[in-house]
Amino acid sequence: MLRRAYEFVILFKEYLVFGVLLAFCAVLLAQNDDAQIRTIRSVAVVAVGSLQDVFGVIPHYFDLRRENQVLRELNLTLADEVSRLREARLENVRLRGLLGLKEEKRSGVVAANVIGKNLALLRNTVTLDVGERNGVRVNMPIVTEDGLAGKVVATSGGYAVAQILFNKEIRVSAKIERSRVDGIIRWDGGSLLALTDVAKTLDVRTGDVVMTSEYSTFFPAGVRIGLVTSARGSEGSLFQTVDVRPAVDFTRLEEVFVLTTTPDSERVALERRARGE
Amino acid sequence: MRRRIADIALTLLVIVVQTTLGRYLAIAGLPPDLALIWTVTLALRRGQMIGTVAGFCTGLVLDLLSGGDGMLGLSALALTCGGFMAGYFYNENKTLQTLGSYRYILIILSVALVHNLIYFIIFLQGSGVHWWQAILLYGVPAALYTAAAGLLPMFIYARRLLL
Repeated sequence: MLRRAYEFVILFKEYLVFGVLLAFCAVLLAQNDDAQIRTIRSVAVVAVGSLQDVFGVIPHYFDLRRENQVLRELNLTLADEVSRLREARLENVRLRGLLGLKEEKRSGVVAANVIGKNLALLRNTVTLDVGERNGVRVNMPIVTEDGLAGKVVATSGGYAVAQILFNKEIRVSAKIERSRVDGIIRWDGGSLLALTDVAKTLDVRTGDVVMTSEYSTFFPAGVRIGLVTSARGSEGSLFQTVDVRPAVDFTRLEEVFVLTTTPDSERVALERRARGE
Repeated sequence: MRRRIADIALTLLVIVVQTTLGRYLAIAGLPPDLALIWTVTLALRRGQMIGTVAGFCTGLVLDLLSGGDGMLGLSALALTCGGFMAGYFYNENKTLQTLGSYRYILIILSVALVHNLIYFIIFLQGSGVHWWQAILLYGVPAALYTAAAGLLPMFIYARRLLL
């Protein structure tokens, strides 16, 4: 009997190993949020971050000249914008004081270099050279001077991994700047983003600016996401299809800013209580 | 024993290259799947068992390095299937002939297509994206590019065959 079992194992060892490994993969897929797995991931982020840090110098070397030129131009534009914003802020403070409105919670900013890009099929992420030591935590938004780029999904001491908007997993509460129409930004695998859950009757036009809305727990309101390139209704659906071109050019993503904003705990607790969680 | 150590070292090297330099090899955002090429090569050189285990280990490390997107085990699963499938083409007496001919490219292409199919079907579960759309948009081009990248090792093996 034992001999037969042994012969069976020897004869079908490849299939047995294959079966065991498949079962192990299935268990891993089911246990993704386990604390031990998160710890292992954190160690892996450090390892890959250190390696990508070494190789990250390559594009900088070749692009330095172009980058310098772009930064100089950007500096001029921003200097002008800063002076105008300063005036606007003073006016805003004065008007808010007159109306008695609550001051918005301001978030800090941590500058980061993109030291790695993971372009695995539909799982687009970037590795940043900042981590928990710099105050970066999971779910913090990342932005560039053009607009929203994504959010942090894993951190270690000195590195962080962030999902970019071209990632199937990401969802952002958004609104049209002009008409204040709300929707959800997601990526369906194409070259553009999609603003979903927008009823056919609502006012969305090509060229409208899409920005983050106040409804998001993780993303601050008013961050530019992109421009509407087309809005069309489809037969048999109550919703329209709104394509959005992101403001950020992800092919040239080299530096980003992590907004060290954390969700308002009072708001989160209240919303949870209201949902009965 | 030395052969095993060399295989493990090369597997680690492939993972490092894939995760650090893969983006420089990307065309239209799609990098060649060097891990898959290596898994197929190992399966053709060492057999189905080694190919399957190598696929699993390589995929698992890649999963760990891909960040927290809730899909740990997916690359491991797809690459395990890839290594197992490639192992069917293993012939101990014709290893170099297989690796140094167009058959190698066809094997990589077919394994890459199956790998991407498994990957997308699971990855896109519960999302609004249709897996067949993803296969057409990403899976097929990525498989073709990966097969094209396999030309380099094929030429190396073909040269070794001639010597």
